[in-house]
Amino acid sequence: MIKVTINGKEINLEKAMTVLEAARSAGIKIPTLCYHEQLEKYGGCRLCLVEVERMPRLQTACTLMVTDGMVVRTETEAIANVRRSVLEFLLINHPLDCPYCDKAGECELQDLVEKYGPATSRFKESKRKVTESLEDPVLVRNMERCIVCTRCVRMCEGVQGAAAIAVIDRGGHSHIEPFSGGKFDCEYCGNCVSVCPVGAIMSRLHRHSYRPWQLVSETETICPYCGVGCTLVVQVRDDVIKRVVPRIGTAVNNGLLCSRGRFGYEFVGHKDRLTAPLIKKDGVFEEATWEEAIRLIARRLGEIKDTFGGSSIAGIASPRCTNEDNYVFQKFMRVTLGSNNIDSTARTGYAGAQAFIENIFGQGATANLIPGLSNSDAVVVAGGDPTAMNPILGLQIRACARKGGNILTIGHIKGLRHYTPVELRPSLFSEDILLEGILSALKDKKGLPGSNQILEGKIKDINLSSAEVTRVCGISEKDFALFIDKLSGASNAAVVIGKEVVQSSGGSYRLLLLAAITYLINGRVYLLSERANEQGLLDMGCAPDLLPGYRPLGYAEFRKKYEIAWKSPLPEQPGLTIFEMIEAAKSGLLKAMYIMGENPVFNMPNSKEVEAALKKVDFLIVQDIFLTESARLADVVLPALSWSEKNGTYTNMERRIQRLRKAVTREGMEDWRIVLEIARNMGSKMNYEDSENVFFEISRVSPLHRDLGYEEIEKGTAIYPYKGEPLRSLTEEIRTEKGGSIESAGKLYLRLERPLFHSGTLSRKSQALVNIYAGAVARISPGTAGRLSLKDGDIIRISSGIGSLDLPLAVEKAVEDSVLMLTNNFEGRGAFSLMEYSIDPVTKAPVIDGNVVTVEKVGR
Amino acid sequence: MEKILLKNIENPNSTDINEYIKAGGYTSLPKAIGMVPKDVTEEVKKAGLRGRGGAGFPVAMKWTFASADPKFPKYLLCNADEGEPGTFKDRPILEKNPHLLIEGMAISGHALSAEYGYIYLRGEYPAAKHILEKAISQAYDKGFLGDNIAGKGVKFHLAVHQGAGAYICGEETALIESLEGDKGQPRIKPPFPVNVGVFAKPTVVNNVETLSNLPYLIAVGGEAYSKIGSPDCPGPKIYCVSGHVEKPGVYELPMGTILRDIIYTHCGGIKGGRKLKAVIPGGISTPVLPPDKIDCPMDFVNMPKHGSMLGSGAVIVMDETVCLVKVCYRALRFFEHESCGKCTPCREGTGWLRKILGRIEKGEGMDGDIDLLLSISGNMLGKTFCPLGDGAASVVQNFIKHFRPEFEDHIRSKTCTVAG
Repeated sequence: MIKVTINGKEINLEKAMTVLEAARSAGIKIPTLCYHEQLEKYGGCRLCLVEVERMPRLQTACTLMVTDGMVVRTETEAIANVRRSVLEFLLINHPLDCPYCDKAGECELQDLVEKYGPATSRFKESKRKVTESLEDPVLVRNMERCIVCTRCVRMCEGVQGAAAIAVIDRGGHSHIEPFSGGKFDCEYCGNCVSVCPVGAIMSRLHRHSYRPWQLVSETETICPYCGVGCTLVVQVRDDVIKRVVPRIGTAVNNGLLCSRGRFGYEFVGHKDRLTAPLIKKDGVFEEATWEEAIRLIARRLGEIKDTFGGSSIAGIASPRCTNEDNYVFQKFMRVTLGSNNIDSTARTGYAGAQAFIENIFGQGATANLIPGLSNSDAVVVAGGDPTAMNPILGLQIRACARKGGNILTIGHIKGLRHYTPVELRPSLFSEDILLEGILSALKDKKGLPGSNQILEGKIKDINLSSAEVTRVCGISEKDFALFIDKLSGASNAAVVIGKEVVQSSGGSYRLLLLAAITYLINGRVYLLSERANEQGLLDMGCAPDLLPGYRPLGYAEFRKKYEIAWKSPLPEQPGLTIFEMIEAAKSGLLKAMYIMGENPVFNMPNSKEVEAALKKVDFLIVQDIFLTESARLADVVLPALSWSEKNGTYTNMERRIQRLRKAVTREGMEDWRIVLEIARNMGSKMNYEDSENVFFEISRVSPLHRDLGYEEIEKGTAIYPYKGEPLRSLTEEIRTEKGGSIESAGKLYLRLERPLFHSGTLSRKSQALVNIYAGAVARISPGTAGRLSLKDGDIIRISSGIGSLDLPLAVEKAVEDSVLMLTNNFEGRGAFSLMEYSIDPVTKAPVIDGNVVTVEKVGR
Repeated sequence: MEKILLKNIENPNSTDINEYIKAGGYTSLPKAIGMVPKDVTEEVKKAGLRGRGGAGFPVAMKWTFASADPKFPKYLLCNADEGEPGTFKDRPILEKNPHLLIEGMAISGHALSAEYGYIYLRGEYPAAKHILEKAISQAYDKGFLGDNIAGKGVKFHLAVHQGAGAYICGEETALIESLEGDKGQPRIKPPFPVNVGVFAKPTVVNNVETLSNLPYLIAVGGEAYSKIGSPDCPGPKIYCVSGHVEKPGVYELPMGTILRDIIYTHCGGIKGGRKLKAVIPGGISTPVLPPDKIDCPMDFVNMPKHGSMLGSGAVIVMDETVCLVKVCYRALRFFEHESCGKCTPCREGTGWLRKILGRIEKGEGMDGDIDLLLSISGNMLGKTFCPLGDGAASVVQNFIKHFRPEFEDHIRSKTCTVAG
């Protein structure tokens, strides 16, 4: 117990802390500026100076640790004078342009001056002049207002790990600038904006369009982008989102956001939003009333069901829609239409990988807490860049490195390149050999634990010498040995698996190897998830073989329970996966499709095939917020409410159920309500008042969500298995399919770039993100460029067996040789339009790593 | 007094290791290595050696703190960032007697069980860099540095790191930051460098002159050493005298030599027989003294009793032709330029003071400016992150304290009546 006396008040502390923390714990206010609870201590602003007995100088409360018996005074005349004088010093070069500074009203300097500062100025000279910088697409820097507290620098370097900005120059010339000067060359997380106490670094998105006190509402909700599920606060004026900010203390992201989360909200108010139902007549869309549209759908679906049976109808659910939307959707498909043909784009990787891993380790094995990553002593990363796909999770990996953990990457992972003691960069198509080698070496070092016989049976014969592995993979023996050394020494390891693992030939075999490595080091698995509710839709039963609560449809007892709960028989046969739906549509077996919040024509490989298949469907319903590539093919288009316009829940990749809340009002219906209207028009008795009502039913029927309500969810701690029970682990036979050996010499492979700044339909309608990353660019390595006689900046024509695209070329070291990287985020220029795929027989995910393309220069 | 630190520097080949050995060099190192590290520190304690960088901290105490820390490796840094205006006392050692420093560092390294040392050298001393590097290489060749010093299995490696011209890097934590490759800015203390220094390891930072005392100290023993100069802070001291004296230069004298004697006896008095106006006794940061206050012993203990500080022993002598407002202005221009910008009072205050002094000097001063100067400097003093800001503030306060009429005259006459 430490006893400290502050202003005569005795405070007893359990643990050591700073004087500032001790004072705050006792409700004693000490003003601060450079101090920020998320950041390393600095002690620069001098505003928190206090008197400490037996110490000759005044001390900064934010840096001084309390000691037993310490006597502190914070409210003496001398301290009042210090505060006044520090603020006076800060103001002499401050422009005092509060009348047109966006920060006014929530400016820490303004507030402090109002409370402690001098009323008049004694400074008679001219002030420092710095031109405002609008060089950045989303940020505006006004260095006249900067007080050099360096919070932004400490955030950028110590928390975000981007180290993009620094204090340039010194003394009175100190200012914050990117190292490159001019434009930020950074991740545009905007976390510098969050911590700036004044108006020196601000978001451009809402520049001069509001005053903080005019923000009429603040709504805490969940980010619509990736599967991390960050909490964000949406600030609204006149029913328009003005700003999205994080909040300290929230479960997953604790005061941090990434570029998509912070700057990617403009799609909500985009002018292209659908406003009314559209019905296609003679190939042309005409606006219709809701009644017309719903009646037409009910009639047509009824006819098709009656004529061809429920199995001739398929539905695609949405990883962007809420649990409630997806639950009602699958119930409608199963109960009203009698079809198990429900799937989603989670099938492109996440669903299959999860099923595979959880078959080995038990249900819920992939549900691990994201902040826990930072406490690992080793993190293996394979199959993609977490700092781009799941940025906030990526930050935890960087934090792990900062705490001394070893980040071990398989392949070049750009966002972690400064954090890894060793990256193993296997030559093209030798990833399997590398994983086999790692597994062999770990077996040699650690032996088999003997707890999972099925898994051990699968790997006991994998024995590759490190000499063989390093030769085939083209990596150095020293690096390999270091990797094994760091990994085998770990006692609290994590394995992070990205989508590329699943989407490669032999994906299931690769998953097996990664699972086995995890098993040998007794680690935890994290599956990267690109969409906000990818997990939730699986939990809701939006899969052809799963019922809500992740219950396998194939088991009659589970089916029975749902038949009783839903008072309706259920089709027994598992339905079609999303890829099988495309096949069935192509062959004419599917007569109707209902696509909710998804854009398969764009988001699935071989876009043209998908487009052709959807065109063949007799009756296509697309429910979305924009007239997407898929919606254009529809017979009826239904406009839905988007994120931030509705209530509900999302379930993130760590399986935390979180509340999505309505922040702005728009005319229209939530996805579930539209589905419900159709169901009721088809004679269903289904009825829900609101999303909470839907969730109530979920909590009654899904054993995972048993007795869980919104009230509980709002506490932020509804983490798997919520209040219900997981399925007992039943490891079945582990099926894998090895990839064939591929000769890569002289060929160029098209691979998918997954950028930090984009997701697809939402991000390309968010101007800020488009401003950061404006359009598709093809990327190749300098080696490949040399071989093909191409130069950075050339316009090239990329041709595959199914199409071609003309794009500008960038030559970048981070790209592997013999690979061409291209995003699938820009309209008409997506990599998927050039990619064919095959289906992995085990994970049912598309294999897209073998797409050969040719390139030719067509201009500059 | 026989020269100890500047011994042999008249020899044109003084930087050569053989000349140094011929003059008796590198005999203390084997002697020290033959001692238990703790005993070396004990000798230093007996000698009463204080740091010569300016603060006068007892050397043995610093070493004991670092030795007590269980972390290894430990580092020894030599602060050769001689940047205090008026100071050039380390330069003759660095450029003329490098082996004295190297031997001193090796002795100190042994006392601390430090296996690595760095000389953080002022960026503006390019000649010293080459001389030191050559001397270090010679010392390696002769086995006075390396993995097996004097054949006794003692390890000490030494390298020179050149600064980039920032005054603040003379502050030990800023020096460490800079050595690590970061921007030179002081660190929060505690933890102190003796516990968490360079590369987060226990680190001792000692001045060139301090370390150069060690060969002699070990040779004669702490007891004998303590008999030189002031009893409370003994030893030889290098005073570097600049300004209006007949013979400016570097003087090695016993610690505690009277300031008046330095000026009038050793340096031959004021140039051209003019009148003394002011003396800055220990580098620009130390309080200025008027002519009637120079009968003070120049050491760490006595100078504060006489209203100033020994600092680096850089005596700046100014005669009656000097405008002290201008001197004060120039000093503040220096501090403004060198302020690192980390803390508010120094970053903003130095510039503000300079601007006001500038306008007074130009004859544009206003009523109340002197009080404003005192108020601003008072708001800085004791509130800045490191002593740089204190130094700047105290220059203003002391110039006004002793020479207020000259400031008032500038404001009243709207011009400088001293220097014209």
